[in-house]
Amino acid sequence: MSAKEKALEVIESVLKSGRTALVEYEAKQILKAYGLPVPEEKLAKTLDEALHYAEEIGYPVAMKLMSPQILHKSDAKVVLLNIKTPEELKEKWEVIHENARRYRPDAEILGVLIAPMLKVGREIIIGVTEDPQFGHALMFGLGGIFVEVLKDVTFRIIPITERDARKMIREIKSYPILAGARGEEPADIDAIVNLLLKVSELVDDLRDYIKEMDLNPVFVYNEGEGAVVVDARIIVKEPVEKKEEEIGSDYKERCA
Amino acid sequence: MAEKIVEEMRPFFDPKAVAIIGATNKKGKVGNVIFENFRINKERGIYKGEIYPVNPKLDEIEGYKVYKSVEELPGDTDLAVISIPAPFVPATMRDIAKRGIKAVIIITGGFGELGEEGKKMEREIYEIARANGIRVIGPNCVGVYVPDTGVDTVFLPGNKMDRPKSGPIAFVSQSGAFAAAMLDWAAGEEIGIGKMVSYGNKIDVDDADLMDYFIHDDEINVVTFYIEGVKDGRKFIEAAKRITKVKPVIALKSGRTEYGAKAASSHTGSLAGADTIYDAVFKQTGIIRAEDFEHMFDLAKAFAALKDKLPKGNRIGIITDGGGAGVMASDAVARFGLKMADLSEETVKFLRENFPPHAVPKNPTDVVGDTDAERYRIAIEGFVNDPNVDAIVIIVLFQVPLLEEEKIIDILAEYQTKSDKPIVAVAMGGKKTDYYARMLEEKGVPVYPTPERGVRAMAGLVKYAEYLHRVEGE
Repeated sequence: MSAKEKALEVIESVLKSGRTALVEYEAKQILKAYGLPVPEEKLAKTLDEALHYAEEIGYPVAMKLMSPQILHKSDAKVVLLNIKTPEELKEKWEVIHENARRYRPDAEILGVLIAPMLKVGREIIIGVTEDPQFGHALMFGLGGIFVEVLKDVTFRIIPITERDARKMIREIKSYPILAGARGEEPADIDAIVNLLLKVSELVDDLRDYIKEMDLNPVFVYNEGEGAVVVDARIIVKEPVEKKEEEIGSDYKERCA
Repeated sequence: MAEKIVEEMRPFFDPKAVAIIGATNKKGKVGNVIFENFRINKERGIYKGEIYPVNPKLDEIEGYKVYKSVEELPGDTDLAVISIPAPFVPATMRDIAKRGIKAVIIITGGFGELGEEGKKMEREIYEIARANGIRVIGPNCVGVYVPDTGVDTVFLPGNKMDRPKSGPIAFVSQSGAFAAAMLDWAAGEEIGIGKMVSYGNKIDVDDADLMDYFIHDDEINVVTFYIEGVKDGRKFIEAAKRITKVKPVIALKSGRTEYGAKAASSHTGSLAGADTIYDAVFKQTGIIRAEDFEHMFDLAKAFAALKDKLPKGNRIGIITDGGGAGVMASDAVARFGLKMADLSEETVKFLRENFPPHAVPKNPTDVVGDTDAERYRIAIEGFVNDPNVDAIVIIVLFQVPLLEEEKIIDILAEYQTKSDKPIVAVAMGGKKTDYYARMLEEKGVPVYPTPERGVRAMAGLVKYAEYLHRVEGE
């Protein structure tokens, strides 16, 4: 199955269930299909499955509850980190479900994502939004205050070239943090370039379906050590039948 | 494709015969001003085509036979300019189609910018154009101004607004009022405009078409745009990538803020996109974004003169006869992302040997206030021959007592011609300085009134050169 076919399978099942917002697990299935670096995570439907997956991945693990009604997981306290033993996992299994019920009593629960505890890296954010004139645009910036407060981000229209990706990375003001300021080692710039190019490819391929996308945060490690998408959010749309041609948009035909 | 767009646009810029639909003898009316523009230009021998006024109520205007209808027009009519009320335009378009006219400028307003009813009429006009291979500029615009061929549909009369002389700059504007004000201003500044197009609601001919046309227009060195919104972003991006490989495009995009964006959408019924997205589009396509009106023409002036002599790198050499101006220019070099050139040892030696002891053989080189034109020549000679210098900014304070004005002008012009490094000049001062600055510009050296503006214009050249280098590598 091609990456696009795999992605469409996920998207179509989400649309069929009447949703447009993918849960993290679904979003990451799509990213994975396109070769983006996502952690080895498993969706556990039962406690037994959770214990089994945690054993497979190796403790400590993280637990994230997946519910279409809970998209801001930390607000609902359904992300629990650093679970060290099976006993603790059993106990937290109850806690995480209780938190979900308290936040949204009607929350439909798809399962709990069991994920490895990741080494913390420099946080970046990659986003996609659809502009009414130019189509999908790709955003890049450092995470945290750099995006929230300083709005230190940059955009390009998709698809981008490798040169665009490298320029995006260099043109944010906080670039010195990635380049390695004050004796810090430089971050893995090539890994970010690769991420930007893959997101561009993914969105270009699925442009009829993708409305918005946020990879936030992405951890970037030191040079040569790669990057990993920690959390992901995708909003999809029903592909519209190509609208009757707008005035002036028959340009190619005219010039043929 | 190339020939097609050139062939389609030709009647707009150089018609064999223009029909002025809605021509009238009532002074001050749009249909009168446009008729008069053509009539006067024909009298002066600039406009060489025929003029056919169309108005069912008149027999003649100023000795010209008036046609009762489009149907009656002679067969050589290749351009129609329409200035009749909006509701009559669709029917007139049908007549134009029957007559076989392939280029139409619709000056009339009251279409898409007014709402649904107007949009419906626009669609109808477009359908007729489409089915009959007619290209349309407008509606809701001031149309076209070409000083070389005498085409002038700008309905603001000559006694209220000056027209600029011809030059290698094309100016394209969505807003008609802005276009008119700009032409008037350019005339005052003696900036040459080769072609101006104001396309208003752009139901057909748009930015992308014009970019594709200007690729092939040898009269035009640089294309400037005043943009409020783009309808078909993909088409815009593709066309922009094509033209920027051949000639520079400078865009002034309004609607930068929330407020501005709202004003734009109610203005010509177009959509103004988020500013950050435009920034991205300009970066990706090599369009140079102007910060404001002044910046746009500062850049245009530099490109008009130096498009074929772009700097090889970003290392700037500065020559000045005033220390303070040199410092200001050096600050601007840093501010606009350029580098001060490190003069080679040979250059420093050459300057030291030929300068009097109190002149400063560094970068910036200060030829100081007792300079004559020859001392400038020494400095320029040194910079031109220095492999570490990519581009030269020469500040001439014409006020210093021993400087022979015409001689320094000749020296700058001479090096502009014989050196492959671009030179821009800065001349700060009042009326007397302006007089010499114009003389210098006549000889191909762009002149700026402050060191900041001179360096910023040079930064535009460097940026475009870098872009060209980049796309050539791809």
